[in-house]
Amino acid sequence: MLKVIKQGVMASIQDIGRFGYRHYGVCRSGALDPFAVCLANMLLDNPPHHAVIEITIGLAEFEFTQPCNFALTGGCLNAKLAGRSVYPGWRYYAHAGDRLTFATSAIAQRAYFAVQGSFALEPTLSSCSTDLQAGFGGHQGRALQSGDCLNYEPSPSALKPLGVKQPEYKKQVRVLKGPHCDKLPAGSFEQLVNGPWTISEASNRMGSRLNSKALLSHDVSIATQAVHPGVIQIPPSGEPIVLLNDCQTTGGYPIVATVIDADLRMFSQLSANQQCNFVECDLIQARKASDKLSAHLAQFRLAKNNN
Amino acid sequence: MLEAHSYLLGENALVVALHTDKPSPSEQRRLFALTVSLQHSNAFLDIVPAKASVTAYLADPSQYQYWLKKAMLLWQESEEVAFNVKTHHIEAIYGGEHGPDLIDVAQRLNLSAKQVVLQHSESTYQVEFLGFLPGFAYLGTLPKALQLPRKSTPRKQVPKGSVAIAEDLSAIYPSSSPGGWHLLAHCAHTLFDPTANPPSLFAPGDKVIFVPSKEGIC
Repeated sequence: MLKVIKQGVMASIQDIGRFGYRHYGVCRSGALDPFAVCLANMLLDNPPHHAVIEITIGLAEFEFTQPCNFALTGGCLNAKLAGRSVYPGWRYYAHAGDRLTFATSAIAQRAYFAVQGSFALEPTLSSCSTDLQAGFGGHQGRALQSGDCLNYEPSPSALKPLGVKQPEYKKQVRVLKGPHCDKLPAGSFEQLVNGPWTISEASNRMGSRLNSKALLSHDVSIATQAVHPGVIQIPPSGEPIVLLNDCQTTGGYPIVATVIDADLRMFSQLSANQQCNFVECDLIQARKASDKLSAHLAQFRLAKNNN
Repeated sequence: MLEAHSYLLGENALVVALHTDKPSPSEQRRLFALTVSLQHSNAFLDIVPAKASVTAYLADPSQYQYWLKKAMLLWQESEEVAFNVKTHHIEAIYGGEHGPDLIDVAQRLNLSAKQVVLQHSESTYQVEFLGFLPGFAYLGTLPKALQLPRKSTPRKQVPKGSVAIAEDLSAIYPSSSPGGWHLLAHCAHTLFDPTANPPSLFAPGDKVIFVPSKEGIC
C-alpha cells in the first residue's frame, strides 16, 4: 500500500470527473488537468480514466510499502524518489520502503501521481473523484491526510523506463464569446481578451478569480442558469471568475466567455499572482484543439504498442 | 415574437432559454416537459433545468447543429404534461433552536410566529431546480407575505436539515454549510445520500409540502 507520510498543502484522489448528476447539484470534481490523468495512466498501461492523486502546490510525502511502478505527470513539483530526482512525464519503479517526496515550484502548481494497476477504490456516483465540498468520493470523501493508507496491487517487476511528451502549459488561454455580452456593458468581452489578468489568491478548485487594473463592473442580473467548468462569470464587482471542476452547477452572474475544453487544463498550473491572457477563437478552432489533444494520446498509444 | 431561443454555451452545452427571467407557472411546467423529452433522447450526459432555461450537455458535441434546432422543436411541442411528479411531505419543527430566525422573521413581516408557520406550511412548493450544494432544491414560490431579502451577514454554519426562506424561495439545507437564508424550522429527512440511487430526495419538478410538527410552533 501507499502510506501518506505528509499530506502537504493539499492532495486528493481525482479521476476525470463525475458526470450525469448535475441536475441534483452534484459538481464534476475530478482532476483540473484530466489530460495529465490519461497520460499518467497510459504510462502504466492502466485504463486512461482511472483515479490518481492530484498534488496541489506540494510538500507532500508518500511511502511505498510494496514494490510499485508509478508515473508522474502535470507540473514539476521537484519530486524525489528515495532522494533521487524524478520528473513529470515518466514512469519509475519504487522498491518497498522507498519514499516519494514533492517539494514546491515557482512555476508549477499541480502534479499527478498514478500507480500501476490503480488504487483500490470504490466509485461513488460513477466516479472515484473526491467531492471536497460535499464530502464524498475518493478516499473517505476528503483530501488525503498523514496516516492514510491507499491499497494497490504490488508490481511484480520493474517496467522499463518510459517517458511521454506533455503538451505545454501556456499562459495564453483561448475562449469562445459568451451568451450575455449584449447585456453586459459594451466592450466587456473585448476588455477581457485585451487583458492581461492576474490570478487572485482567492482562487481554488471551484474557480480562478482574476484581477486587473480595469475591472468589468456592472449591475446586470440574469436568471440563474446551469454553469460548468470553463464558464467565465462576471460578478458585479467586475473580477471575472473562471469556473473550475468544483464549481456549483448553477450560477446567477452573466457569462462573458467560456474557456475552450482543450485549454482549461492551463488553470491547473496557474498559481496566485501569475498572469494570463485570453484570445478569442471560434468553435472550429476549439474542436481542432481538442482533437489535437486526442491525437497526442492516440500517437502515444501507438508508439508504446510498437515499442 | 419567440418566447425562447437556443444556443451553445461553450462546446457542448445546449441551452434553451426563455426570453423572460421570471417564467410563468405554465412556462415552468413546459420547461420540465422539455427536460423530460430531452432525457428520452439519450443524447446528453447531463440535463440541468434552471430558473428560466434548460441546459443539456451533449454526449457527442459534433451533433450540436441538429440539436440547436431539434431542442426548439421539442420546446414548441412541449405541453404542460402531467409527467410523473412526486409529492414529498416534510415534517418540520418550527421555531426555537430548530428555527432560530422565526421570531425575527415574524417581527420584520409584522406577523405572529404562528402566522409565519401557517403561511409557510399552507403552500405547496415545486422544486424549480437544484444547485449550490448536492441535493439543495430551490422551492418556489414562497407566499408574498413571507418574502424577505437574504440576511445581510450570512451564517458561517447552517445546520444540516434547516428549513429556510429568502426572497421568493424556500429550501432545506441537505448538509451543513455557510448560508444567508432565514432559518424557520428543522427537518430530519436525508436530502442527499451519495450511496443511494437516486442520490437526491428531490428532483426538478417535484412537489414539496411542509407539515409542522407538534414539537415546535404549529
